[in-house]
Amino acid sequence: MMARGLGGFVLAFAALAALAVWREDLGLPIFYLVLASTALFWIAQATSWNVLSGYSGYFSFGQGAFVGVGAYTTAVLGGRHGVDFYLTVPVAAVFSALLALLVGGLAFRLRSFRGEIFALLTLAVPFILAALARVNSEIDGGQGVVVPVAEYPEWLAQFQDFLYLLNLVVAVAAVAAAFAIQHTRFGWALASIRDAEDVAEGLGVATFRYKMLAIAVTGLIGGAAGSLFALQIGFVTVESVFGLTIPLFVIVMSVLGGRAHWLGPVLGAVVIVLIQDRLSASGFEGWNLIVLGAILAVLVVVAPDGLQARLWRRPWQAAVALVAVTGVLAIVDGWGGPLDWFVAGVLAAVAVVLWPGKAPAPAERRPAPSAAVPVPTDVDRGEAAESSGHSGPQLRPNSTIDGEVGEVLVECRDVTRYFGGVRALDGVSLQIRAGELVGLVGPNGSGKTTLVNLLSGALRPTSGSIAVAGRDIVGLAPHRIAHVGVSRTHQIPKPFESMTVRDNVAMAIMFGRSARPLAAAREEAQACLDVVHLRHLADAKPAEINLHERQLLEMARAIATKPKVLLLDEALAGLNPAEIDAAVAVVRRIHATGITIVIVEHLLRVVNQLATRVVVLNQGALLADGDPRTVMNDPDVIRAYLGRHAHARGT
Amino acid sequence: MLEVRELEAWYGQAQALWGVDLSVADGEVVCIVGPNGAGKSTLVQSIAGLHRSTRGTIAVDGVDVARVPAHRVGDHGVALVPEGRRVFARMTVHDNLVLGAYRRAVRPGLSAGLDRVHALFPRLGERSSQLAGSLSGGEQQMLAIGRALLAQPRLLLMDEPSLGLAPVVVDEVFDAIRAINADGVSVLLVEQDVERALEVSARGYVLAEGRIVASGSSAELTGSALVRRSVLGL
Amino acid sequence: MTTLQAALSGALVGGMFAVMAAGLSLTWGMLRVINLAHFGLILVGAYLTFELATSWGIDPILTIVLTVPLMFLVGAGLQWAFDRLGVEEFASLLVSFGLLIIVMQTVSNVWSADFQRMDGDVNPYATESVSIGRFVFPAPTLIAFVFAVVIVVAADQVLRRTFAGRALRAFAEDRTVASAFGIDHRRLGMVLAGLSAASAAVAGMLFALGNAVTPSTPFEWIGMVFAVVILGGIGQVGGVLLAGVLVGTLSAVVSATWSPALSPLVLFSAIILALLFRPYGLLTPAARGAR
Repeated sequence: MMARGLGGFVLAFAALAALAVWREDLGLPIFYLVLASTALFWIAQATSWNVLSGYSGYFSFGQGAFVGVGAYTTAVLGGRHGVDFYLTVPVAAVFSALLALLVGGLAFRLRSFRGEIFALLTLAVPFILAALARVNSEIDGGQGVVVPVAEYPEWLAQFQDFLYLLNLVVAVAAVAAAFAIQHTRFGWALASIRDAEDVAEGLGVATFRYKMLAIAVTGLIGGAAGSLFALQIGFVTVESVFGLTIPLFVIVMSVLGGRAHWLGPVLGAVVIVLIQDRLSASGFEGWNLIVLGAILAVLVVVAPDGLQARLWRRPWQAAVALVAVTGVLAIVDGWGGPLDWFVAGVLAAVAVVLWPGKAPAPAERRPAPSAAVPVPTDVDRGEAAESSGHSGPQLRPNSTIDGEVGEVLVECRDVTRYFGGVRALDGVSLQIRAGELVGLVGPNGSGKTTLVNLLSGALRPTSGSIAVAGRDIVGLAPHRIAHVGVSRTHQIPKPFESMTVRDNVAMAIMFGRSARPLAAAREEAQACLDVVHLRHLADAKPAEINLHERQLLEMARAIATKPKVLLLDEALAGLNPAEIDAAVAVVRRIHATGITIVIVEHLLRVVNQLATRVVVLNQGALLADGDPRTVMNDPDVIRAYLGRHAHARGT
Repeated sequence: MLEVRELEAWYGQAQALWGVDLSVADGEVVCIVGPNGAGKSTLVQSIAGLHRSTRGTIAVDGVDVARVPAHRVGDHGVALVPEGRRVFARMTVHDNLVLGAYRRAVRPGLSAGLDRVHALFPRLGERSSQLAGSLSGGEQQMLAIGRALLAQPRLLLMDEPSLGLAPVVVDEVFDAIRAINADGVSVLLVEQDVERALEVSARGYVLAEGRIVASGSSAELTGSALVRRSVLGL
Repeated sequence: MTTLQAALSGALVGGMFAVMAAGLSLTWGMLRVINLAHFGLILVGAYLTFELATSWGIDPILTIVLTVPLMFLVGAGLQWAFDRLGVEEFASLLVSFGLLIIVMQTVSNVWSADFQRMDGDVNPYATESVSIGRFVFPAPTLIAFVFAVVIVVAADQVLRRTFAGRALRAFAEDRTVASAFGIDHRRLGMVLAGLSAASAAVAGMLFALGNAVTPSTPFEWIGMVFAVVILGGIGQVGGVLLAGVLVGTLSAVVSATWSPALSPLVLFSAIILALLFRPYGLLTPAARGAR
């Protein structure tokens, strides 16, 4: 797939390059290559923007910064220091990437910086660079910099052919990079960050590192293309690069084309450049930006997913519209020239693709082999072992099943956590041994979920220590804790919405404790889906499955990281009794594979059925700890649940 | 006063209530008890108009309010003391109380209402200009109750008023419930402290897994094994 | 001496940015809409003042009698549309970016891309100045500052003392509970967005009073105004005046002592630092915002 795809890029490059090399033999007017150069420049820029902002969802208004650094590097090195143009391009790319890493280092260090705050932060960057360039006479000094014309090979007829070829190299490299990223771990990591960053981190994705990588790639491509931009405009000024025009264009292009796919920015850039060119040529220059603004405002509301995804659904209709409109206009020949006809055809195709229609039919639901019938509540040892037996080597049951507990796996010492002045947990000490299935219960607000968040690293304790498998985890990033062997589910399931059920699980395998390549991970995902009886829905999207199935998916994903200890945070909330019984059976099966489980659950009936041990929290402190029967008859526990006098009356 | 019939409620695809019937007579205190996650809060929020994914009827004085938008439910004499208090933390105590009387119909009663609340909870009067966020949990609960009283309700919905409070404070809150009821306000009380809830109310319902599993006078329910089992979720 | 003069003048100019920022801050904080089109409304306000004063001979300050009601309707209509289409916080940033571009280009098509400035005979304020002690202040900046104080104090009092103001603050904190007390967010939102747009009309007038304006001027405001909004604390109208004065002073002092070109550098560095360490305003502890 990957190799074939990249081979395609080489072919595309060769074909497009031939247009410039043999342009005069082909009789192609230079005008077309100039237009193509513009399109290629924007393809590179939009693709650059999309690697960070589209793939990972960190929306940036700062694309001008990368273009500017690239353009100024080439202009200053070439124009003031006589450095050879070819040398300035890589230098420009590297400078721009370094700037990107600086911005990323600042922005991604602090967690909550998604959405508008990140957007505003990146908005400020070009303004700062513009001020720096204006002040520093070594760079610009408010005068602008002239870019010397680079020498071009003699086998090219004109300078424009040369520019076209340069833009082609950068654009094809950029799109190929975006393609490659999308089809490797890197792209999967970015997609998971876009869909649910916390969850991705908790499943073992090193989110900070991937975001830094993404912004560096964005900077690298943006800078290289910016370097060519300098050559193209010949005279670099602060206004030409650091304004809001460049971010506007790349955002509109990517939103129009679609942000989740490498092809999106390409489609968007081509359509926008064509529209812009025809508007200008027809004397509607003043309408250029109005059309652009309208496309952005309308698309964000009407079709935020963009052209690409919809084109896949109506490829033939789009092709027919393109050919028909272009063809009819060519035959009638009453208005404009060939390019006008073609652009009219493209617009017709875009209209057909974006036309609101019926929502795509949900993936066909194959009958569930076993989940349709609620799984018997009392799964006996034999069945549990058997069901995990065909679930692949990584889930083979080991010796630690119910009752047989092993060494200490989790050790909390005097763990305290404050929120502001409120003590959510107050000096809790707790040991969990391998093979246990611990029920964590307590009234509302007793600190159960806080404890789960501390164990998974989502929160840090105010004081106290937590060790898992002998390793101190306090202060470790959640993805590291995942690699130590802690995995969790969320009370409200948070699947990666853009991925199928199978790929949700494959994600966790790819980035879990023993990392796997995608193909192997998809293979292994089947086994995890079998454990929770979701195999029949493997190809469905999370939006198409019900709450019960989403909660099962949550569990499948959690066990796919191959945890030592699994934290189930109210994994049964909102289910009906039959679904609860089915879910209980699933928890048993997971436990039978040798995974230690901590389950937070309101329904004491369920906890009693499942747990080998029950821990009761009340007002942030440990109230009781022991086997279910004893704990449930503990007067203190009953009082915590029923009220002050309950213990006095008894039953 | 309140007559709920065949109420079902959903969160997306997850059904939280299954055919709930209950009633509150004029001047009555009725409690709903049950384990966490049984749907008690959903029930109260559905009556208050805050949860609108429902089927069934919610009649207040004979008028079905199940389709009335949330900001119009108050017009029918219903006010809410929400779970977790949810006072407006960045506003003063005074402003929180005034906001209770936001609806035009009850604005004329503002100053009388403030006097009444200050008499009920003298501490709120002392802290009038303090930010609500800086109050203790118990004071915030009093403020949440006071805010609801300024809406001049005939039916007060109280969702877990004792949650997270020290026992002494809980006593105060329950004394206030009695005082409010003595003024003729009906109260529907959702409470995890079963004993206290049954003490203050005339009748009770036990809600478990989204269904009413038992109901009766508080005397009947007090100490009943069924109640104990449902509340413990056994 | 010159630095002090610059600082004081800068503080007054900051008043104008406070007027620009007030509406943006309130709609962001209360309605969760980041309305970049606000800058477009200010621009249109400035051009309308220019047009009404130049063609009709109306006193520039009095033009707001016409522009304010007009803008109110535009703002309320826009909010109605946002509410209807379910445009949430982040999408609002993009949609309104599109709208801003449309407005800027339309203005350019109508009034050309050149600088427009009211002549001295229609704008008597441009050449006036007021001396206080040793200091001299141009009339337009003084007028802007007076408007800023009036608008900010009035908005603050409305938010503090009226039912509608309390309702807005309650709504910003907890929409659900607010609705339980009879607060109709649709109507209230439209009123607030309308008032915010009305303040944009005033800001536009104030800008046109002392400056030449071009269709691309909003790009010069965006940085300054967002600095004011963020430093002042999103949704906190009192903070806007304080931050406006602070930002105005800072930028003027930097311009006077080093170089005018450096002032955006200092300003935007301040924004970045604020975003990194105090994203909810100088006066708001970071912890509360993080809730």
